Amino acid sequence: MNEIIPLHTDTASQEPYKEGACKLHPQTMCPAFGALRVLARLEGAQPAMVTDTGCLYGLTFVSHFYAARKSIVAPELGTAELSSGMIQEAANAAIIEAASEPNVSVIPVISLCVAETAGLAEELLPTEIDGKPVVLVRVPAYAIHSHPEAKDLALAAVMRRFVDRTSPPEPNTLLLIGEVFPADPLMIDGVLRKMGGRVLATIPGRSVDELRMAGRASAVAALHPFYRDTVSLLRERGVGVVSGAPIGADGSAAWLRAVGTALDLDEDVVEQVAEEEEQTARDVLAHKPLQGSTILVSGYEGNEMLYARLLVEGGARVPYVSTSIGQSMLTAADEAWLRSHGTEAIVYRKAIEDDLAAMEHWAFDLVIGTTTLAAHAKERGIPAVYYTNMLSVRPLFLAGGMIASIAFAQDLMNRKPIYNRMLEFFQ
Amino acid sequence: MTIKIIRDISDTSSYWGATWVFGCFPDIHIVCDAPIGCYNLLGVAVTDYTDALPHMANLTPTSIREEDVINGTAGALKRTIDDLRSLGSLDGKRLLVLSTAESEMISADHGKYLEQLDPDARFFWSQSLEQDEWVGRDRALLFAWQEYGKPFVPADQQVRPNTVNIIGPSLGCFNAPADLHELKRLVAGLGAELNLVYPYAGSIASTPQLADAAVNIVMYHEFGEPLARELDQPYLFAPFGVFGTTQFLRELGVLLGTPSAKVEAFIETEKRSTLQAVWDLWRGPQSDWFATVDVAIVAGRSYVEGLKSFLGEELGMKIVWSSGRPRRADEPDNIEIRKRLHARAPAFIFGSINEKIYLAEANARGAHFIPAVFPGPVVRRTTGTPFMGYAGAANLVQEIVNRFYEMVFNFLPVETIRSQEAGGRSPEVAPKGTISTASQTLPWTKEATDRLNAVLEAIPYLARISASRSLQHAAGQAAQARGATEVTLEIVEAALAHER
Repeated sequence: MNEIIPLHTDTASQEPYKEGACKLHPQTMCPAFGALRVLARLEGAQPAMVTDTGCLYGLTFVSHFYAARKSIVAPELGTAELSSGMIQEAANAAIIEAASEPNVSVIPVISLCVAETAGLAEELLPTEIDGKPVVLVRVPAYAIHSHPEAKDLALAAVMRRFVDRTSPPEPNTLLLIGEVFPADPLMIDGVLRKMGGRVLATIPGRSVDELRMAGRASAVAALHPFYRDTVSLLRERGVGVVSGAPIGADGSAAWLRAVGTALDLDEDVVEQVAEEEEQTARDVLAHKPLQGSTILVSGYEGNEMLYARLLVEGGARVPYVSTSIGQSMLTAADEAWLRSHGTEAIVYRKAIEDDLAAMEHWAFDLVIGTTTLAAHAKERGIPAVYYTNMLSVRPLFLAGGMIASIAFAQDLMNRKPIYNRMLEFFQ
Repeated sequence: MTIKIIRDISDTSSYWGATWVFGCFPDIHIVCDAPIGCYNLLGVAVTDYTDALPHMANLTPTSIREEDVINGTAGALKRTIDDLRSLGSLDGKRLLVLSTAESEMISADHGKYLEQLDPDARFFWSQSLEQDEWVGRDRALLFAWQEYGKPFVPADQQVRPNTVNIIGPSLGCFNAPADLHELKRLVAGLGAELNLVYPYAGSIASTPQLADAAVNIVMYHEFGEPLARELDQPYLFAPFGVFGTTQFLRELGVLLGTPSAKVEAFIETEKRSTLQAVWDLWRGPQSDWFATVDVAIVAGRSYVEGLKSFLGEELGMKIVWSSGRPRRADEPDNIEIRKRLHARAPAFIFGSINEKIYLAEANARGAHFIPAVFPGPVVRRTTGTPFMGYAGAANLVQEIVNRFYEMVFNFLPVETIRSQEAGGRSPEVAPKGTISTASQTLPWTKEATDRLNAVLEAIPYLARISASRSLQHAAGQAAQARGATEVTLEIVEAALAHER
């Protein structure tokens, strides 16, 4: 076990934490990017963006870095086009260009701030062109507020279009929702099979077929707590919903039991598997590998609370968690769990000012944050990483995911001396 | 009115260009009247990948919400300014408010309102819906001069002899630190004094000093010249290549009144130092390749002109096509660039991530991509990668020759090792005296040979030998597999499809 000596006394946190005095710099990727990422990664999809040039530049830039090596089509929209009511013609021209590509099978039309303000009308757009479906996704940044929530809107839009409404549900199958590490669904499937169930598909993914198939699941698990539209779409179809995720010892067992009930699996078998899984996790956690450390978790991916739970179970103190998404029924369970395990503040729709206030309030040994916050932390010699880049590249769920993630946090804190050395040299 | 279609946009809007200029000044705070996306993409996400800045510390959004789109953004603007004041973020700083595409959509012009809130603050109407980043940068530079510079220049102001401004380098300018370093080195080589590097190393407070320099060096053709004209002193554009840079040094010497002997002495020293590598590689076998090389260039106007002149005219490479920014009507747009790269990729492509994606789509393995412009995540923050000046000439030749070596290495035969544990097996040794029929050379029909030659014609010269070998081998094997006695057009097509 690594000895971590707190650098502070606890007197600082006697006063309750107060959020930043103002929310000047909201922390989220441009909300529309979430939609673009989900849509650009679909095989056969040729996105057409309807927006101004600055927006187009920024969003294609991050899409070409983080979504897909895929060419993106758009109409040129300037004052002339917008003021003369050419927005429909513009969108249609982009759709025609998108459809002209040889390998295209679906055209998502992504309508952004200026197009929404100009009043792009859905009823005036084609629903298909040359037999290729056209799907409108409206994601004005001024109304969506966070990048994960735009993922949900995009997923719901394509799902509404493609989901198989006619086939009967396949018994004992579970649909996973959430962009998770590729090994996670395999691990979950392995455990479900021991219980007599299986994973049907994981969305959002690369294939339209997965969206079609999604309608045949007996139950759906929203592994990330912001897929509200997508989940309610399935709920309307009578699909059972499991919220939360198989996270840590407590979470994994509870989740497996909930899945067992939703899929109507043999109770005794489910109980046995859940207990096994919990025991494996407890064995890993027995020596509390993160004991004595204080960790700040602040991302804009919407799944921050899951990670915070894992760290807490690993023995860390996580007094503060912040995220870009809004509070909802899907966040309630994780929030309650965290609050009952020592988390003092959970901030939704956070701004950098909230996170900086937290850095002032508590002394952290590790900051897992947005780029801006991680930079502030490194300027104080605190080991820090960018949540998005570092946490999406390792498994998170069940016992296996727990080991990987806790080991990562531990390794980061062991690097404290090099963070200090850099700080001393540069400041 | 016909709608123009864009693929993978190359030039961003004037809001971005202006912010990349104003953002260089430490004594300014910018409020962009924008939804959170326009703030995040510019101030956090993209600038981190273009300029390697964790975030722009002097940029704050009004965070336009749905209700602001309906009611106007004045309330959001006032709240933002009040909050910034309360945090002390405006202490010792000038406030500048920029419009964005969305605020312009709803005609949120805060010029008058801002005067009431803060008489020292300024409002910059970005014209983001109709102007590109180059116009935006130019307008921002002129705005800074007119608002913060010109009115504060003393009436009896005299230029200081032998001093130089470098105008242009700002955020979002590809490779600016290395090119700037080289320009400073050239200026110092002539014994001249650097006055201001603007806006990169400038500030609002230093802006009146722009008037002090005897000569201005405008770093880019794509923007900066209008400010140089306003300053009303002689100006030169930054140079490229061996001969281009020599001419530049002589012209700069004349403008500064540097003795010709001093200029020539510096050029002589450079030939024996910075440029020695160019002369050595020219005399070596490396330069023989230059004649076989074809190059396409997508970059800012300066880079396009500079690379065409250096690689094309000075070194004799074939420039097959180019497209500068801002793009001229006779240059290919991205739709056309994509078509050309899919049809035939040249040996070297200077460009942005767009070109890189088009090459990836075409699986063009014989082509070398060299980053030369944004968009695209690439760190260019050291002084060691210039394109401009003598050091730029040496760096470019070195880079291209190393890519040759890389290509040669990649085309040499290799026998990959697979471990026994991983399921690999030693190749079976044929019984003594037997010869595999796969080694036999089959006859090729004329159609098959013509097709092969046509395919090879489209592959860059250096990759051709290897491609010829592997395609012949693949076609031969396909023929053997079918038990054919000759290689036909159909078999070649099948082999080609398989190779892709």
